[in-house]
Amino acid sequence: MLITMRKLTLVAICAIAMLPLSPSQAQQATEVQVSYSNGQFQPSELRAPADKPIAVRVKNLDAKAMEFESKSLRVEKVVAAKSEGVINVRALKPGRYEFYDDFNEKARGALVVQ
Amino acid sequence: MAMRVKTMRKWVGQRQSLGLLLSCVVFGCAGSARAEDANSWKDIETKYIFGFTTGSGIGLEGEKEFTVDSIGRFGKRDGHYAATETKYEFEFTPTQFIQIEFGALGSTHNIGGVADLDDRSQVALSGAFAEFRYLAIERTSSNPLAVTLAVEPTVRRIDETSGERVRNFEFETTINADLELMRNRLYAGFNLLYEPEVTRTAMGDTLREANFGGSAALSLRIASNIVVGGEVWYLRHYDSIGLSEFTGDAVMLGPTLYIAFTPKMFMTAAWNTQVWGREIGNPVSLNLAEFQRNRARLKFAVEF
Repeated sequence: MLITMRKLTLVAICAIAMLPLSPSQAQQATEVQVSYSNGQFQPSELRAPADKPIAVRVKNLDAKAMEFESKSLRVEKVVAAKSEGVINVRALKPGRYEFYDDFNEKARGALVVQ
Repeated sequence: MAMRVKTMRKWVGQRQSLGLLLSCVVFGCAGSARAEDANSWKDIETKYIFGFTTGSGIGLEGEKEFTVDSIGRFGKRDGHYAATETKYEFEFTPTQFIQIEFGALGSTHNIGGVADLDDRSQVALSGAFAEFRYLAIERTSSNPLAVTLAVEPTVRRIDETSGERVRNFEFETTINADLELMRNRLYAGFNLLYEPEVTRTAMGDTLREANFGGSAALSLRIASNIVVGGEVWYLRHYDSIGLSEFTGDAVMLGPTLYIAFTPKMFMTAAWNTQVWGREIGNPVSLNLAEFQRNRARLKFAVEF
């Protein structure tokens, strides 16, 4: 019985490994850009097409690091001062996905997917 | 024996009073927080806001977390019974759909005068576990429902209930669903649980059993970093992993609390009391053979 349970575990792990980990991998990503300066996102609202993977390029123009984070996009990335970072996001359903700088409560923005 | 039972009742009573006091403090805070605009709050990770009920959240891609998660079980039909199991857990989210957790288990048992259980007072490193979570349905601004499927294989060298040396293998399977009923404010959580396990005792016997059940929880975000709520669990126990030999069931009910101290550090607490139960073939109130009178959860986590 213990062996059966171990087999069950292995089957479950293999099944999970075969799940679509990132369905965006096979398609070309749409790139959107946002700048971060004086503690604000510019523009504060980005637009992207639905059902296509998205690459969000964040240019941090400030002299200190920021963390691009979004619970609904399920991504986070620290972008060092005076540098840029790219965050790859899966293909999304239409909707409004909010993001923010985790180091600065007041810096908010949204990605509108249509 | 009577003295011990009296002490145990007093001890459980003190904890219930503490729970009530904590609830009053938290609900008191709610009054001052009511005026806040929930639309200005950041989205919340729902995984830990429902107490023993697990939400659908799987974290952010690339996020890592260290967690200490203790579950205590208190009270049997007679004598005094207190057992805890603590997970020392590392979790990470490698993709936007998968979360993986693993860690070690520590346990404590303080048992005296309980029928069918040996008296014991011990602390032990009791096993290891891993958990795999897959986000099957994601919440969007137009879909309030999110669903995650999870499996959690666990091996133990110490029996969870009795504290005896055993070889135990458990395979918990859950469906974690939650609904955002009011934007950033009110959430409902639902779990469906199937937990088969096989135990080989020190005497060489092999025991097969399973728990099956579900829960419903409601959580209200009263401030941007505080969530309070309540949950109810219905659990059935079987002496087989195929759910064919039903031995009893129970309903557990209690309050839940979640506090985020900083954006990267939070705690969750919950208390469940058995309010109804039955043991097949034993006409007594409550099921204290397979379940406990009370259970508590306290979890601290740091993300990095």
